Amino acid sequence: MSKMAINHKIIKQALTIRRVEEKFLDLFSQGKLNGTVHTCVGQEFSAMAFAAQLEKRDFIFSNHRCHGHYMAFTDDVRGLLAELLGKASGTSGGIGSSQHLCRSNFYSNGIQGGIVPVAAGYALGNKLNKNGAIGVVFIGDGTLGEGALYETMNIISKWEIPLLIVCENNFYAQSTPQSVNLAGSITARAEAFGIKAYKGDTWNPELLLTQAQEAMDYVRTETKPAFFHCDTYRLNAHSKGDDDRSAEEINEYRAKDFLVKFEQEEPEYFNRFKEKIDEDIDRMLATIFEEGDTKLEDYYTPHTNQKTEHWIALETINKRQVELMNTFFKQQFEQSDKVVFIGEDCLSPYGGAFKVAKDLSFIKPNQLYSTPISEAAIMGISNGLALNGFKPFAEIMFGDFITLAFDQIVNHASKFHHMFNKQVDCPVVVRTPMGGRRGYGPTHSQTLDKFLIGIDHVKTVAINTFFNPAIVFESILQEKQPVIVLENKTDYGKKILTNPSKAFIYNRSNDAYPIVHIKPVVSQPDVTIVAYGGMADFAATMIEDLFKECDIKPELIIPSLISEIPVEFIANQLSQTKKLIVIEEGSSYSSYSSELIAALSEVMDESFKVRRIAGLPVPIPSVKSLEEQVLPSKDRIINEIKSTFN
Amino acid sequence: MAVLQQIAVPLLAVNDTFLTVVEVNFNQKAAVKKGDIVMVFETSKTTYEVIAETDGFIKLMCEAGKDYAVNDIVAEIYSSVDEIVVEEKKVVEVVVSKPATTGVSKAEFNYTGTTLFSLAAQSLLQEKKISPDVFAGYEMVTAKDIQLHLNPNAFDKVVETIATKAPQPQKQNAALPDGTTSIKLSSNKKREIEYLSAVQETGLTSTLAINISTNGLFGSVNKHLKYFKNSLLPLLVYETSRLLVKYPLLNGFFYSNQIYTYNEVNIGFAIDIDKGLKVVKVAKTNELSVAQVEETILELSNQYLEDKIPVESLIGISFTVTDLSGEGVSYFRPLVNMYNSAIMGISAIDEELQRFNTSITFDHRITEGKYVAQFLSELKSRMESYAYNDAEVNNHIKCYKCFKTLQEDLAQVGLLPVITPQGKREHICQTCWNGL
Repeated sequence: MSKMAINHKIIKQALTIRRVEEKFLDLFSQGKLNGTVHTCVGQEFSAMAFAAQLEKRDFIFSNHRCHGHYMAFTDDVRGLLAELLGKASGTSGGIGSSQHLCRSNFYSNGIQGGIVPVAAGYALGNKLNKNGAIGVVFIGDGTLGEGALYETMNIISKWEIPLLIVCENNFYAQSTPQSVNLAGSITARAEAFGIKAYKGDTWNPELLLTQAQEAMDYVRTETKPAFFHCDTYRLNAHSKGDDDRSAEEINEYRAKDFLVKFEQEEPEYFNRFKEKIDEDIDRMLATIFEEGDTKLEDYYTPHTNQKTEHWIALETINKRQVELMNTFFKQQFEQSDKVVFIGEDCLSPYGGAFKVAKDLSFIKPNQLYSTPISEAAIMGISNGLALNGFKPFAEIMFGDFITLAFDQIVNHASKFHHMFNKQVDCPVVVRTPMGGRRGYGPTHSQTLDKFLIGIDHVKTVAINTFFNPAIVFESILQEKQPVIVLENKTDYGKKILTNPSKAFIYNRSNDAYPIVHIKPVVSQPDVTIVAYGGMADFAATMIEDLFKECDIKPELIIPSLISEIPVEFIANQLSQTKKLIVIEEGSSYSSYSSELIAALSEVMDESFKVRRIAGLPVPIPSVKSLEEQVLPSKDRIINEIKSTFN
Repeated sequence: MAVLQQIAVPLLAVNDTFLTVVEVNFNQKAAVKKGDIVMVFETSKTTYEVIAETDGFIKLMCEAGKDYAVNDIVAEIYSSVDEIVVEEKKVVEVVVSKPATTGVSKAEFNYTGTTLFSLAAQSLLQEKKISPDVFAGYEMVTAKDIQLHLNPNAFDKVVETIATKAPQPQKQNAALPDGTTSIKLSSNKKREIEYLSAVQETGLTSTLAINISTNGLFGSVNKHLKYFKNSLLPLLVYETSRLLVKYPLLNGFFYSNQIYTYNEVNIGFAIDIDKGLKVVKVAKTNELSVAQVEETILELSNQYLEDKIPVESLIGISFTVTDLSGEGVSYFRPLVNMYNSAIMGISAIDEELQRFNTSITFDHRITEGKYVAQFLSELKSRMESYAYNDAEVNNHIKCYKCFKTLQEDLAQVGLLPVITPQGKREHICQTCWNGL
């Protein structure tokens, strides 16, 4: 028994973790906890070895079983107690509760695997800041099933990111034993990526403390990642009732547990510590119970739409859209150390599939990261950089691939600000080109905007060919919330406002995300058309033909911020024309047009006639003749308008 | 300089996009004096005299008896007779040589680019033989713009987007029977035919009628009436206006495969006392009391007799009531007006049976018989509820045996109508009835 070699302060802290968690189980059974708890009873020394030994400038990303890590790193028992009791004074104001804690460089999220690239991004930020800080990300053996982990291990090894992955192997993924779920070796996984792997266990805390310190020193001094496989065992269920393990097995591990043994061998110390801890907990709880919850008005601020007031005439720019974007990024690279460009194939001279990143890596090689084919990691690393004060611009090569990054957008980027009770912002930007008409077929031609416009606290912006995209990007630089930028692959090569019709006036609003308004020079328009992104260019190009064929004078409204509807402006126009056409390239079910029409219906008293013209709900064919028919073609647009309004 | 006064066809009523020149008082190039009546226009509602504003010589560009579009120049007064050049008579009477000024508001822009014509506009230009130059200054011209140019009121306000039909020239039938004398249709009659055809020509109208008892009605009603004692019209207009709120389909019209309902109840009543048939509006009828309805009817009738009905009293009528009760008819089938879905006819009171007949003709494209039947039945019970419900009336009705009045009938069982042995209609109380 090596207990004497362990500092009583550490034992006391480990026991505190256990007593707090046992109190949680108590409170839960009394119905005083909302939600759920995952306890780490039996695993406390992993928290003590890593979280407690980290420096305060370092950071931790943890998972659903994070109480121990949190208390070991922050000593903030009261914040945790209040958080789980749902009080405003809790770590995350009661919003996050057990799985979503945030304080002083400590973050946790209940999504398995997704935290690993975020931690990698945060650690990359530390490396760029050259501040000597490192990070630890805790995963369980169950998380070894997640792909994002392997995308990240590949990248942290390649880019030498100072991150220690601690895999707390408690042999169960919720209720399923490892024998059912896990193939191969745990440490060999890391070693296959060239990451130095360590192994230890919680039944010999003294050794574990030393090994952990050694691993963290390695990460810090070498500025390289490491992987620590830490065997442990949770003495309680995964959550509460979900336990089918045999009593025999549990008792075997209980007998090995350091704190259990300490109680047996040093009952006097144990009881003195325990009484003091319990007394502290009860005293804290007594005051916490008196406290109030976070108020809705402190949590949720109703959204107000951008207000369109001034209009500016648009001008032709004899430069291609992609050149203007490239110029914007070049300027940012020259001016700022915080702008990071990250995406596949973006290293120069290639400069990305569509050349947005051309020459950027020549200007500042350490602010451009050309990644492996790992969309989840691209997005996750960008999220981590954003949390760490950077302005990352992630590039997803084709819009179709954004689905692979979706967890990072929905469960991480969009959540951090609110679930951590507004203590952090995640001003990440992800850009991607959508759209067909290139014959790339079903998985490289889609317009998936409909999946991206309804994510709470994420702005979705579609640039167009009517004004310099730098206007939009400048606004994005100021954003504190995540932004998705939708581009269109057929627009990249187009110049700004080429061949405008003389019969129309081309204006844009002076909003952060301008609305383009194309209207007849003299006449009152008699139909309002709304389109954005690539479809807007398509519609504008055919606007004279549309007038001739359909015998209507159209106005075209092109929003660039598509995650909110400029409903006031469109409703105002529509109250004159009473006819609305929405053209979109994706299929129309549950799309921008659906949202637009719903928003207009809510505000408009007068009735209006509406027609949606959209892509057909089938995968986009590669063959040209069919692709033209599946996407809104000029002929189809004209015919559908004629049949609706004439 | 030359032209001292231009005489254009005035816009006198929104629905009248063409006016008839009924009188021209001067010959071509004749001298006129300031204050002379140069010509007279006739609209569906009224006539309009054009007065010379100056002395001069007249150049006529119209003929009596023909229709001209609003805003067309039909005559000019020149300072000297030599300046008048009379052109060859034009084939197309609807002159289109003037620059287009309607349909498109061009206030703030001065467009000098090419004018684009939609395909539909191009063929209409050809068809109407209009020069595209007419539309210089406009960026785009649709078929609608050309129609507006030809007829500025084509899509006028009262009922937006509804083009008022221009009067169709009647085709001369070559095979008329012998021994007939032709009587020229008056402008009024032409309008009437046009308006009534709008709904009736579909043939999809139907008429329902109901008898409403007047027994004891006026005893109560006359108390509220100041001028029209023993008249049904004010009360019927009053009650109908209330019901129209509940039956909006009768307060609307059918157009272009859609049903429209009016937001306000503006009942019009038909009036025809030697000055031609007119329908005049009791505005916002459902907001007036019976006395106010009566007053409005009186006021409008006086205006009618003095030819001073304001235009706004002739438009926006949402439902029409036509009262022929004064003529002794027992039943008739009224015709639904344009932009109405129904019309109510009031027949004379049958004094013998103490009732009168109310009929409604309605546009069956809008609703069905059952809806109208419910409307009528509700109207009947509302009208009849006025009978016997006040003290004076109750006092007036008494048992012919014991002279106990209805008011004194404390048992609240009422009196029975009976025919006395002398053949007179009287009432008898329960006591006398049972006792006898």
